[in-house]
Amino acid sequence: MTFITPQLLLVLTTTVFTSAILLHLTKKNSSAVFYYVIQSAAISSLLVIASFERISILLLISISATVAVKLFIAPFFFFRLIKRHQLKFTVSTYLNTPLSLAAIAVLIALVQADFIKPLLLLTTSGQTFILNLSLSTILISLFLIINRKGALSQMLGILSLENGIVSFALSAGLEQSPGLQLGITFNIFVWIIIATVFSSMIFRKFGSMDVTALNRLTE
Amino acid sequence: MQNHQFDLIASPGFFIATLLIYAGGAIGSLLLQNNDRRAALWSTLAAIAGSILGVSFAVAALLRGIIPAFTSESTFPLLSTSFYVDSLSALFVLAICLVALCCSIYALGYLRHYYAKYNIGLLGFFYHAFIASMILVVTVHNALSFLIVWELMSLASFFLVIYEHRDSANIRAGILYFVMTHVGTAFVIFAFLLMYQATGSFEFSAIRVGLDYASPILRGVIFLAALIGFGTKAGMIPVHIWLPSAHPAAPSHVSALMSGVMIKTGIYMLIRVSLDLLPPGELWWGMTVLVAGSLSALLGVLYALSEHDLKKLLAYHSIENIGIILMGIGCTLAFSATGHNTLATFSLIAALYHTINHATFKALLFLGAGAVISATQTRNIEHYGGMIKTMPQTALFFLIGSMAISALPPLNGFFSEWLTFQSLFRGATSFDAFHDFPFILTIGALALTSGLAAACFVKVFGVTFLARPRSTGAAQAKEAPFSMRMGMAGLAIIAIALGLFAGPVSRVLGQISANLIPGGKAESLGELNLITVSSPDKFYTISMPAVFLSLLAASIILSLLVFLMTRSRRVRIAPTWDCGTDLTPRMEITATGFARSIITIFKGVLRPSRQTDIEYHDSRLRYFPKMEKVILGQRDIYQPYFYQPLRELISKLAIQVKRIQSGKINAYVLYILLTLLGLLIYFLR
Repeated sequence: MTFITPQLLLVLTTTVFTSAILLHLTKKNSSAVFYYVIQSAAISSLLVIASFERISILLLISISATVAVKLFIAPFFFFRLIKRHQLKFTVSTYLNTPLSLAAIAVLIALVQADFIKPLLLLTTSGQTFILNLSLSTILISLFLIINRKGALSQMLGILSLENGIVSFALSAGLEQSPGLQLGITFNIFVWIIIATVFSSMIFRKFGSMDVTALNRLTE
Repeated sequence: MQNHQFDLIASPGFFIATLLIYAGGAIGSLLLQNNDRRAALWSTLAAIAGSILGVSFAVAALLRGIIPAFTSESTFPLLSTSFYVDSLSALFVLAICLVALCCSIYALGYLRHYYAKYNIGLLGFFYHAFIASMILVVTVHNALSFLIVWELMSLASFFLVIYEHRDSANIRAGILYFVMTHVGTAFVIFAFLLMYQATGSFEFSAIRVGLDYASPILRGVIFLAALIGFGTKAGMIPVHIWLPSAHPAAPSHVSALMSGVMIKTGIYMLIRVSLDLLPPGELWWGMTVLVAGSLSALLGVLYALSEHDLKKLLAYHSIENIGIILMGIGCTLAFSATGHNTLATFSLIAALYHTINHATFKALLFLGAGAVISATQTRNIEHYGGMIKTMPQTALFFLIGSMAISALPPLNGFFSEWLTFQSLFRGATSFDAFHDFPFILTIGALALTSGLAAACFVKVFGVTFLARPRSTGAAQAKEAPFSMRMGMAGLAIIAIALGLFAGPVSRVLGQISANLIPGGKAESLGELNLITVSSPDKFYTISMPAVFLSLLAASIILSLLVFLMTRSRRVRIAPTWDCGTDLTPRMEITATGFARSIITIFKGVLRPSRQTDIEYHDSRLRYFPKMEKVILGQRDIYQPYFYQPLRELISKLAIQVKRIQSGKINAYVLYILLTLLGLLIYFLR
């Protein structure tokens, strides 16, 4: 029995992709975390459904851990960071909104280019559009890290990038072993803790979460 | 010995046992580091045991023609490795273990100098790691594993170079060695990456097959990268600058190993890459190596002539001999490229023979130098003299080494240089007028090198052992301990044996060479027997036993003649006429004086310098000098004309490249995105 139908895959992947774009558009940190939660919920749903197909307790445990980290632990740490340092808004970007959207459009166009076609052969469902969306999510998330000056937005960009990679792997039918999944989840968990601790330290030292303040370290 | 016993010795298990003994020696030395005497004893005995096993393994593999091999497969590339001890590898294992055996016996007595001064356990650890890594370098058959053991060898030798760390000169020498060896490694990595790109594998067996289909340009680039990379380790000019500083800095038994065998690993890999992994190349490969060999040989010996630091002088002679080996390899490549396979095989015999010979006589000379330096506490040969009286056996061994390196018959150096000459003569008659020219020039370079090497060792032996002592240290020197003399004696015997039994040794080397040259057949090499070595067309023939017997007969006849002519004379012992003055050691010819005339002839290359400091009785009038001090030296031409411009170019490039290092994390992620897109476009287009 196949639980992941192409339609369901399309809906969830589109959610992941849309969340990545909304992460670019939002000016509020709390909204950004909220969009990340939506993106993670979509990815978690994909993972849970995939685990039903392979009836494996270990896989279910590892996916439960992933869901816990993505949907509960990471948002908890981010909301606490926002509350502690009063980081309501993060409007600081290198490109303004129209230019950011133009750059996103260029990245999406790149994914539609001919040279990407060999990569689309990976798709198992035959719907290359889904794989395109996942690849676009990866590039858009990378662009989020580049365009934003705030440390929190960059952290969300990295997590969104990770969600994009998971979405790509699922769309391409690349199976993950439970051990590997658990390892990745643990890695993200540790990374979130370290990143939030470092962000707090940066805020205490420089009075801002703006990473451009770190330039002073090079002087 | 029964065949099955040979098979047992030449097995992978025996090979691993050899390596385990070295590992045990290394760990045991560290554990015993609090007791100098025990650490030294454990270290040397383990090294002797490991070397004996290594020699047995290599001899059994060579005599039986067995190829011990084993592979470890893994999905993780770094854990996949393979060892393949073909006859070429076995020959180098034999050379390494034989020299290591003699050096380790020597170390039993030599290490006493370091008691309570330096950590003997640490020396033992790196000494074992060094020997084991050299064995692994010549047996591993996987590029990634090779790079790991190559690095291990470099690091172990680096720590041995800076072992006497209280001398700042040694630290400087170590840093120079560290930098240069990694520059060489960068070229080696580049060569292997190109091979991987062309073949999709790091396994030598797959590379060998895959490179047949590579383009000539790619093969040429791989060859040049390998020549520079392995040439740096071998001490080829102009990438030699680390060698004259690093080899003298290490303890003498380590210097012997470094100069005797470590630099030969560069030669081994050059042969492996250019003759085994790469298909037959083009003529310019051979010509390039010939030119590099000629320059290294000639300049190496000229620098040696002007040197007064005994170990540094020997290090320069290593550069000279690497040049001679490169001449043989150059001939091989040129003949192989033009289909002269029998000549290519013969030239490779010359190169391999000189490799083995240099390993023995250079190790012997370094051990001899170590004994002299231990006795006098100086490396300056101007402070020696008359030591044949106080160290007669060391003098004898040093004389054998000096004769061998000077290519005097019937010793081994003579035979391999003679073979190299024959290869070059054949090259000078086998090509068109344009391509003959490099061979003719190389013949001239080799002839000049041989003459200058003999002159240099007349200087070294004469100034060190003959005449009268020039310092208190030389006058009060004592003969080296028994184990040190044993180590030297072993190498001296090997040097003599390699000269006398040139035929059988050539036959073994002929088999190894024939395996490497496509179309090369050991049977077509002519007579290679106990008495005679000759080419199939009788272009050249030589009998080393006959040469030895002729020299012996000539000596006996001359002695008899002298005896007969002088027997009626009365022996009268009286003072030498000395123009009415007292003869003192200051009146003897010095090394500087001896070499100065030759240096003056080659002043265009050597760029001699002269600095005069005069102290006057009255500094205002400056009429009557009280003391005049003359400092003679050589200007370094490599630093100002090669390395300095190169350094400036790299610095300028680095400043430009540094601009991308903005300190902004956003910029770095942008680089990642651009790289990702670039890679996607490159690989998916």
